[in-house]
Amino acid sequence: MARQPGRADGVLVLGGGITGIQAALDLAAADAKVYLVEKSPSLGGRMAQLDKTFPTMDCAI
Amino acid sequence: MLDAGRHPNIEVLTHSELVRFEGRAGNFKATVRRNPRYVDEDLCTGCGQCVHDCPAIVPNEFEVGMGARKAIYSPFPQAVPNTYIIDQEACLNNQFLVCTNCMNSCDRNAINYDDVPREVELNVGAAVVATGFDVYNASAIAAYGYGLYDNVLTNIELERVLNASGPTQGHIVRPSDHKVPKKLAFIQCVGSRGEGKEAGCEYCSRFCCMNAVKDGLLVKQHEPDIEELLLFYIDLRAAGKGFEEFYQRSFEMEELKYVRGRPSKILEDPETKDLLVYFEDVETGEVKTEKVEMVVLSTGAVAAASNPELADVLGIELDENGFFEVEPRYGSPLHTARQGVYICGCAAGVNDISDSVAQASGAAAEAEKFIEKMVVEKEPEEKKEMDCSGPPKVGVFLCHCGINIAGVLNIDELKEYAETIPNVEFVENNLFLCSDEGQRLMQERIAEHGLNRVVAAACTPRTHEPVFRDSCEEIGLNPYLFEMVNVRDQCSWVHTRVPEIATQKAKDMIKLGVAKARHLQPLYKKSIPVNQSALIIGGGVAGMAAALELEAQGMKVYLIEKDGRLGGRLNNLTRVYPANLSAFELARVMVEKVKASRVEAMAGTEVNNITGFVGNFDVSTTNGNFKVGTIVLATGADIYEPADEFGYRQFENVITNQELEDILHDTKGKIQIHGETPKNVVFIQCVGSRDPEKNPGCSRYCCPTTIKQAIRLRESGVNVAVLHRDMRTVGAKAEEHYRRARQLGVKFIRFTPERLPGVTGDGDRASSVEILELALNRVLDIEVDYVVLAAGMVPNEKSTSKLQDILKVPRGADGFFMERHAKLGPVETTTEGVFLAGCVAGPRDIADSLAQGSAAAAKASSIITHEMVALEPTTCIVEQSLCRACSKCVEMCDYHAPTLADIAPGLKAAQINQALCKGCGTCASWCPTGAIVALHFTDEQINSMLDALLLDKV
Repeated sequence: MARQPGRADGVLVLGGGITGIQAALDLAAADAKVYLVEKSPSLGGRMAQLDKTFPTMDCAI
Repeated sequence: MLDAGRHPNIEVLTHSELVRFEGRAGNFKATVRRNPRYVDEDLCTGCGQCVHDCPAIVPNEFEVGMGARKAIYSPFPQAVPNTYIIDQEACLNNQFLVCTNCMNSCDRNAINYDDVPREVELNVGAAVVATGFDVYNASAIAAYGYGLYDNVLTNIELERVLNASGPTQGHIVRPSDHKVPKKLAFIQCVGSRGEGKEAGCEYCSRFCCMNAVKDGLLVKQHEPDIEELLLFYIDLRAAGKGFEEFYQRSFEMEELKYVRGRPSKILEDPETKDLLVYFEDVETGEVKTEKVEMVVLSTGAVAAASNPELADVLGIELDENGFFEVEPRYGSPLHTARQGVYICGCAAGVNDISDSVAQASGAAAEAEKFIEKMVVEKEPEEKKEMDCSGPPKVGVFLCHCGINIAGVLNIDELKEYAETIPNVEFVENNLFLCSDEGQRLMQERIAEHGLNRVVAAACTPRTHEPVFRDSCEEIGLNPYLFEMVNVRDQCSWVHTRVPEIATQKAKDMIKLGVAKARHLQPLYKKSIPVNQSALIIGGGVAGMAAALELEAQGMKVYLIEKDGRLGGRLNNLTRVYPANLSAFELARVMVEKVKASRVEAMAGTEVNNITGFVGNFDVSTTNGNFKVGTIVLATGADIYEPADEFGYRQFENVITNQELEDILHDTKGKIQIHGETPKNVVFIQCVGSRDPEKNPGCSRYCCPTTIKQAIRLRESGVNVAVLHRDMRTVGAKAEEHYRRARQLGVKFIRFTPERLPGVTGDGDRASSVEILELALNRVLDIEVDYVVLAAGMVPNEKSTSKLQDILKVPRGADGFFMERHAKLGPVETTTEGVFLAGCVAGPRDIADSLAQGSAAAAKASSIITHEMVALEPTTCIVEQSLCRACSKCVEMCDYHAPTLADIAPGLKAAQINQALCKGCGTCASWCPTGAIVALHFTDEQINSMLDALLLDKV
């Protein structure tokens, strides 16, 4: 679906934690090109450090 | 995480920072500095040989210093990307000691000591800031002795201790002597809700209460020998969906002893390393001490140290706490002052995971307005698929899941056993099968050994089956030839205490998995066209926000509202906190925007019926019929109507929060109730909330609303008392307003559900409220002119049950619609193409509702942006020659998928609409002639599993 011509097709997402990853996935699902920039060597952020999340006790990774 | 690493539209730039950001919304030029890893990302396979050979050992920050790592390392086993990195500060080369161990050990020459920072320039239409928070440094509170006493840990450290792959492999032991503590204490609000700078921040960090309750239960589960768990708190803030119920469950399980009071200091016994906690029990007013063997500090969240620099680069402001400032004008938490730059999660203040995730989707929707979406090239050729027609060659992959599985089950025994199962060609075990490395190895083995069926004995298919299926598909193996066996949830987690029996059960389950896998057949997704338009049901803030976002992206939107005008609950409010916006103005601006847009808004309209499925819904309303591809439910909630609680129907001067709001609305500034200025007003909290009979959940909005109203009354000279159970200040700046109310002289008095306040009066007027003051242990009699009941939020029974019937969206025990996943799918439902926004899924405030409206728009847009949608092929099909048209299937199906059709003159047979079918198999099990086949769960597949189990015939 073509929209506003003359615009960039990319979105910059700063932060590779759960929030940044979610934003990136939603943008990508809607056909945006996403640059996911994370300061540390890996994605995952704070949530990757958690053991389980309540109330479902799913693995946080 | 893995999904982001794999998505073709996402380029992941780790170890990188934004250094320049120029231009304007729609056309920014972003310069990103890629810091050197000293390991080539394209060459490194993550084999780990370099780590083995590296001589430099330093504390591991992922384990919060409780574990060790080498100078060359991967942050954690499932890291994305799994490329290693050299920590220059730890590397011996940097200390003038020549060492080339890693370089020598690398087969692929991926190590490059001369790596330098590189800058890349990106052209982007918008930016989303999701940089999160830093954990408060607990050593700043000297009285708690963190860093000084061995057995004082933080909540983040405890998370690692609890983790099976963490430094103690999931055992709770004291750092001082590696013994399991008998008595353990959690201390809340460490660095949060402080007075003055030295005590940390003034706001509430929101996540720590529930984190402590969860960890308390987990600690007890990990070490049943722990005798006593204490939790010191000020207010227990269980204010999110399902949180209050979870908190109440901890009472039933009697695992945690809650003590109201903030400890003043901790002292360590230098010999035993036990800890003495000094505190005032505020319920009795006594100063007490408790001797415990370990303390966990619930540290709060503070603004990230990197915020000032990044704010400077982005040209946006920081607030007084150092978080990125939200532009208050829109009422929504997603906007910054710079157009095209959006914000979500903890970058703008403290949020829990589900609110952060909703905000992330919302920010994505905002960003989408400023970009030209890519033209996705159709994949030119179908990928060549592996031939799987020959005899089954099954590969079995056993995952350790750290020690989640391997800590209980005997992996060697499982491996040995699996090798003996007929048709099993190959068996391998892996520490984390879901890691990048694990998946790459699995793919290699499939190719090497020509495997045409794959069984993974691992964790839950709910989160991980898609990952494994994608890996199969990537190398040309049909993803439906993969079978998952959940030996974690069903063996190692539930039978922790009986490892032999758990291992035996896992063997049986693997045998069954292989038995089924042998009969798996390839299935193919079918695509159907999408009607590229959306229906939003409900014209309140959430609904209007969703409609405006979608319209701005160029979508056709229908917005229907059952009332005669748009605006929803906003129409009944005066001021909206924290920015003190006029509710009237906010509503007016939004309604005008909707009216000026191409959104087809229909007030006074209700849904009659909706049929169809994702991409193709047929909607019938009282105002005409139309077709849409996706639906957002934003019908809001009702305010609980008190029955006779606290003299509500008896006395005319006992009113609800909402009735007071109406009065404040009408009197325009002058505080007058029925022509008189009141002198004394008492608020009573939790009316119709946190009550197992009426409404078990916390309604979340009422504490901040009461604080807002109390300040307004107090500023006009009224004496105000608030009677409450816990003050739960959820939302931006709510804690600060709570403090302000106290400073203004609003009295906050606590009561317990066992002894509720009593309202007494003469005739039709209440004259006093009686309450037991707990610390004084004395009954107070408060004279009142008005009593205000903070009435909770309940689902709108009529609209919710109607939509539930029509769209099959499940509701939770609290009566609100249920999300797909409490944390990770807060605006999605299990009905494909149907999304939730605002209070329809549970109580929330205006700001959160606006964010959710945007989030639902992002999800809806990901469907209707595309011309086609793929359908899950695990559906039921009819072998029409066997069907005798008894119509049993038509009767049994909840989703109206089967119908009877004429297949020849005078001959009817069932047919199943593949788009409506959920593949539940109900029809297949009822079909008397066996004409219906549930694909992926065929009779042949299930019978072979039964034969394997009961007859031991594999």
